[in-house]
Amino acid sequence: MKTKTFTVAACATLILGAAPAWAHHAFAAEFDAKRPVHLVGVVSKVELINPHAWIHVDVTGPDGKVTSWMVEAGSPNVLLRRGFTKATVAPGTPVVVEGYQSKDGSLRANGKDITLPDGRKLFLGSSGTGAPYDQKK
Amino acid sequence: MCYRFLASLGALCVLLVAPMPAQTGVPRTPDGHPDLQGTWTNATVTPLERPAALAGKATLTDAEARVLETKSADELAEADGKSEGPLLTATGSAGTGGYNALFLDRGSEFARVDGVKRTSLIIDPPDGKVPRMSADAGRRLAASYTGGSFDSVKDRPLSERCILGFGSTAGPPMLPVLYNNNYQIVQTPDNVLILVEMVHDARIIRMNAQHAAPDVRQWLGDSVGHWDGDTLVVDTTNFTDRTRFRGSTANLHVVERFTRTDAGTILYRATIEDPAAFAKPWTIEYPFVATKGPIYEYACHEGNYSLVDILGGARKKEADAGR
Repeated sequence: MKTKTFTVAACATLILGAAPAWAHHAFAAEFDAKRPVHLVGVVSKVELINPHAWIHVDVTGPDGKVTSWMVEAGSPNVLLRRGFTKATVAPGTPVVVEGYQSKDGSLRANGKDITLPDGRKLFLGSSGTGAPYDQKK
Repeated sequence: MCYRFLASLGALCVLLVAPMPAQTGVPRTPDGHPDLQGTWTNATVTPLERPAALAGKATLTDAEARVLETKSADELAEADGKSEGPLLTATGSAGTGGYNALFLDRGSEFARVDGVKRTSLIIDPPDGKVPRMSADAGRRLAASYTGGSFDSVKDRPLSERCILGFGSTAGPPMLPVLYNNNYQIVQTPDNVLILVEMVHDARIIRMNAQHAAPDVRQWLGDSVGHWDGDTLVVDTTNFTDRTRFRGSTANLHVVERFTRTDAGTILYRATIEDPAAFAKPWTIEYPFVATKGPIYEYACHEGNYSLVDILGGARKKEADAGR
């Protein structure tokens, strides 16, 4: 019986991999794995639009110069359903973004990880977001 | 005597023309057909094809399913925020990271039909696998994964261009995908409309109508419907030669059956036929489950900055190579 449970458990990865995993676009076509970025800045605008939400972040360089980055995220519909709104990450919120810059060299990146001032990782569903979806679970 | 004969004949006629036993407990429209209207989701972790590790095992007990469902959720959480992982690789990450888990909504449970959890959406062939594909279909399927050239917007996949949702979310056949697995059905005696949240695809099914002429081709095909007892049967042909369902051709033929089995469930079954692509017809089955609305808008094209970045990236690469 133990062996059986193990067999079933071991193949969860296979199911995950075999799931209809297909995104709107291939990330590798838009972003450059050789250009990781670490952005420390302040949210200036949130666009909750399809097919991808974009979070605008103003980053102040060591020389005091401010550059505006756009960080790509997923479709906002899931967020709305879980109780997130544009106000969840209000302009002025300090964030730290880990991601990869776009291939064309523009100031755009994907947001593999976005950390809020209190340490919560914004897009980590597993960390507990306080959204209704999580409270229900 | 004559009266008695007529009465018997009448009873026989009733027996002959009576549709399948009417299902009780399902809402009905004023014309007496089951009411399919509402907001539905088909999100599930049950894959299209049965994984090799579950070969020969079409169903799971609830306890077995729970083990896998928990493991699957844990693995997703574990992969979150990293730049690689099985899911990210499958979505074309190649080291750049991808969607964070919070953006995914592919369901957390296996699809349940007749009270039992299923290990594949495919129910025929019984091995839960897509039948043998022709070499051409295999090439078309592979090409759809790699995505074509970057020379023109028109060379990019239909989903990347926001023309159709990805992964056959609108179909037909309709399949659950990574997120936005939400549908709204509106029904009149003459038309049934299925609004798909992903890329706002809208399927219009003309009831009791003939198919359009063969030279009329549509992204989602031409769908006509009729009632078979309490089941809505939808027949779809006239696809374009650019609509691809796993390497299918423009001659793809899909027959779908929608049966509202109870207040909260529509049982969905679709048979896929395309001799130029698949060795034999095959059938999928899963439930649409009632969900809270609304369907959100999906103005995909207007905000599709990604397409600009993707083509811009290719131009930058060319410029760098020529330097």
